[in-house]
Amino acid sequence: MIKINTRQLRVLAVAPSSRGLGFAVLESQEKLVDWGVKSIRGDKKTACLAKTVELIQTYQPGIIVLDDASAPTSRRSPRIRQLISEIVAVAEREEIKVLLLSRERVKKILFGHDQATKQAVAEMLAARFPHELGFRLPPKRRPWMSEDYRMDIFDAVALAIACGLKGTGNRIPPSDTALLPSNL
Amino acid sequence: MPSPQLPNYLRSHRKRLALSQDDVAFLLGLESGAKVCRDERFQREPSLQAALAYEAIFQTPVRVLFAGMYRKEEDKVVERAKTLRFKVALQTITRHTERKLESAGRLAALAEAVLNPR
Repeated sequence: MIKINTRQLRVLAVAPSSRGLGFAVLESQEKLVDWGVKSIRGDKKTACLAKTVELIQTYQPGIIVLDDASAPTSRRSPRIRQLISEIVAVAEREEIKVLLLSRERVKKILFGHDQATKQAVAEMLAARFPHELGFRLPPKRRPWMSEDYRMDIFDAVALAIACGLKGTGNRIPPSDTALLPSNL
Repeated sequence: MPSPQLPNYLRSHRKRLALSQDDVAFLLGLESGAKVCRDERFQREPSLQAALAYEAIFQTPVRVLFAGMYRKEEDKVVERAKTLRFKVALQTITRHTERKLESAGRLAALAEAVLNPR
């Protein structure tokens, strides 16, 4: 069996959400090539698929990473589950490897445990990519606030990073999180 | 097999500076961001003038901004350098041809070292 080193592949991570999707393209674990969020009104499924196909054609990724909606702990909606399975079908048609990672698995890979909050993940990623994501870090969510739309970007970047670290036993160095300002 | 480099990395450099395509177009002296969009999506190869302007905007060398294109052209130069070395080797050896042979050989060897690092 040929073992593929995912660190050498261009990784496309897609994080569908109730608003649209977040995406991230990562090269060699250190270089964030593209990242963003696409908010969609109307036919979300068609628009999300079209955006994913556009990203595939532009960046020719070696691997696509998605949220594992079939994980027992997953609470994704039927629409998102269907969208993920359709993205998987598109990737298979294009002969691109697909990796499904549950949120718990991503947190375990990044932190070594699955108790971290989304905010903690976002803060850690903002510290790792200060020039790219630092200024996009949303303020800490209060109980009466909806989730910030920018959080989809961090979800996608977390998937992409976890894909590269998966199986290596490595984690984000604690020094990266130490760079964070204390008021975050 | 590792993924090959992208033709250019203009989009990541632009996003890092929090500039819009229209902002970059303004800095390039263009009317709208449409051409910047085409450059970023690898649908158009910018002119030398535009490439140098990108270098000035992003404060990054052209060969880094256009890494994939640079690598492609470098590969072609290596192949041509090998041919040139062969051609020169067939000529009568003078001090001039010796120097030329040395230059072509160094270029081919240097680029090969970059392509196949130990």
